[in-house]
Amino acid sequence: MSIKSIKDQTYYEILEVSPTATAKEIQRAYEHAKETFHSESMAVYSLFSDEEVKEIQEAVEEAFRVLNDEALRKSYDQSHFQMVGYPPPEKPPETHGMPHGKKTSLSFTGLSFNVEEGVYHGKTLMQVRERMGIELQNISKETKISIKVLEWIEEEAFDKLPALVYLKGFLRNYAQSLGLDPQKVIEEYLHSMEEAKRK
Amino acid sequence: MKKGFRVGSNQFRNRKMIWTIGGGKGGSGKSFITANMGICLSKLGIRVALIDADLGGANLHTFLGISPPAFTLSDFIKKRVSHLREVLIPTPIPNVQLLTGAQDLLNAADAKSVQKRKLIRSIQNLDSDTILVDLGAGNSLSVLDFFLMSDGGILVVTPEPTSIENTYRFLKSAFYRRLKQSVSSSEVKTLIDGLMDRKNERGIQNPHELIKAVKRIDEADAQRIVEEAETFHPNLILNQARSKKDIEIGFSIRSACLKYFGIHLHYLGYIVYDQDVSHSIRRRKPLVLENSRSRAAQCVMEIASKLANSYEKGV
Repeated sequence: MSIKSIKDQTYYEILEVSPTATAKEIQRAYEHAKETFHSESMAVYSLFSDEEVKEIQEAVEEAFRVLNDEALRKSYDQSHFQMVGYPPPEKPPETHGMPHGKKTSLSFTGLSFNVEEGVYHGKTLMQVRERMGIELQNISKETKISIKVLEWIEEEAFDKLPALVYLKGFLRNYAQSLGLDPQKVIEEYLHSMEEAKRK
Repeated sequence: MKKGFRVGSNQFRNRKMIWTIGGGKGGSGKSFITANMGICLSKLGIRVALIDADLGGANLHTFLGISPPAFTLSDFIKKRVSHLREVLIPTPIPNVQLLTGAQDLLNAADAKSVQKRKLIRSIQNLDSDTILVDLGAGNSLSVLDFFLMSDGGILVVTPEPTSIENTYRFLKSAFYRRLKQSVSSSEVKTLIDGLMDRKNERGIQNPHELIKAVKRIDEADAQRIVEEAETFHPNLILNQARSKKDIEIGFSIRSACLKYFGIHLHYLGYIVYDQDVSHSIRRRKPLVLENSRSRAAQCVMEIASKLANSYEKGV
């Protein structure tokens, strides 16, 4: 997520979950958001004004109200993703757990958090895209990157890829279109490219 | 953007890693963490240089159990030695070297930019695998520039309102300084300068309001600000955690930063409150050597292994 006002964030961004999050993940994210943005919270009082906290609280409640209701969520996904030119994401079965991210348990409490949110290379980008039900064609339309280049990125056809300066720009746009952290995608993709070249 | 002033710029792989430890109040445990994390990294075979740039009083040597060094950074700044490596002293701990006494530079309110850059370049050129810089408290421009020079700026916070408040103040200062360095319009630079004051003339309260205002002045600068925010990934260590609720504050700080700044703060981990820490400091023996099985030492080791992992991955 780049710098956006709370009004401009999607319900998924407000709750900090992926569009493919399970109901359990949404519930957990809601509880975390409630805990973080309550009026007495140590983590927010010196950063946000009372009005801003109130606005976030309302946005969190609204996001949860919609995403926690299967029918409302479906309707939101359809209208929202159609608006940005994507088919709505397909939800994974509840048993899948977190859609991405290796979980590391913190020994003190058993609490866990993302230490590494997976390593992005061509195949993982393709998997994320497919899981979200997005056609390469739509990415191409959105990012203005040719389908051929997108295919080379996913296939890791490193010898066919354009010069580094262009590749970085393509990876940035591709990552943004999937809602991924562009910097992380660029770093990890280029790293795997260097590794492959070394071999 | 000038080389060497970015947190998280990973364009030079296989080079040394520089971690600056700053933010928060005095007493939040930055020096303790710097010394003990450095030792943990050295035990993994990584050559470590520890740099004491604490404004409040350089005492990293005490955490390492050694006397105040005869040679300090002053000798380099006052040109009594020609290379920074000459004031880098060995310690009894294999693979760990220490450089102390940055007060001369960082205390000077008018520290010249050229002088700062020269020192930063010299630090970056030290022959070491990992450099840990203990910045201490405060958010003067020199401290901010040192924080921003690193691969990963690390903020240390304790689960107390005052510590969190100071950490946000530091983070805001560093964030806006980074943005200011990235834009070209002088009008936008002036606008950014005023942001630390919530009662600023334009009534800008947060980064997304800043973007809106900058778009009206210079579209390209607005885009630069968005890109800077995307690539700014500071780290967080929560120290003196006494409960699960305390640990969760780290996650809340991460969420608050995402909502406010639009930045991805990486929660590196937490260190539990442990009496063994103060015992080890009193005895002037590093905790991870003296009592490596203590709970706090285990936490430090866990965080250090994450840093080592970054080193191996070159990120």
